[in-house]
Amino acid sequence: MTTIGPSEPSVADTRLARLAVAAIRIGVGFVWIQNAAWKTPPDFGENTRSGLYFFTRFAVDRPVFGPYAWLVEHVVLPNFAFFGWVTLFAEAGLGAFLLVGLATRLWAVIGIGQSLAITLAALNAPNEWHWSYYLLILAHFALFATAAGRSFGVDGVLRPAWRASSSLPARILLRLS
Amino acid sequence: MRANRYGRAALALGFGALASSLFALGPGSGGQADFVEIRGAGLVVILLLGACAVVGGVLGNRVIVIIAGAGFAVAAAIQLVQFGRPTNWLAGDGSTFALLLGLAVGLVAVGTARWEQSSREKRTSEGEPDRAT
Repeated sequence: MTTIGPSEPSVADTRLARLAVAAIRIGVGFVWIQNAAWKTPPDFGENTRSGLYFFTRFAVDRPVFGPYAWLVEHVVLPNFAFFGWVTLFAEAGLGAFLLVGLATRLWAVIGIGQSLAITLAALNAPNEWHWSYYLLILAHFALFATAAGRSFGVDGVLRPAWRASSSLPARILLRLS
Repeated sequence: MRANRYGRAALALGFGALASSLFALGPGSGGQADFVEIRGAGLVVILLLGACAVVGGVLGNRVIVIIAGAGFAVAAAIQLVQFGRPTNWLAGDGSTFALLLGLAVGLVAVGTARWEQSSREKRTSEGEPDRAT
């Protein structure tokens, strides 16, 4: 009897597929790298009502989800410098680690969270294309599902050493990659 | 000397750093195809440390690779402290910081690995598929 599914070889193991996965990972990395450029300390646009502050305010002015709007209005905006630094480190970290493919599955999950936060803030902002936010979230699901750092990334180079090691950091990195 | 896979990884990261210098030809990180702000002293730092990583990879010398990674880490720290302020030695912004950070963590991670493969490690890297599970 002919079977379909489990006996079929996965195209994800081919060199072309691995190149495509690496291209997606590096491309998504550059999304975050370029967007770290305008998260400018120390006030992150709060004093001039521009930059990160301007876009974060959309969560309140044009709310997408009530509880998130409340959180931004009462927790994030009053402590904006702190959340500005958190945003900068998250997005620069996403760009850095996805670019080289290190601990990629961890950063894919962080990317899903950060993309969701951006979506909840800016989805109703004027002149925005809603699918750009959905695609950003979905791209990180793809990076997680394919463990994209194993394709031409540092994860792929170091995982054999992590697997051969019994140390705690190696076991953790094995799980995060 | 023939580089092992760690050396090849360092080589790739070094060439990546050198290739990123092409962003210096663009209008700046606000441009649609100009993803990273690379200018002035930042460009020199990336070229020098990228070349250092390439040399480390070609020679299979992990100390040189670690030095390159540590150099990128110092540059990233300087960029983080200074961007958005009047004094900005590397003439960069958050995108420059992110790129320098990526090159730093990549090279340090590769450089600090044990470059002599154990028999168990060889078996894992050559004989066993590493599927996304």
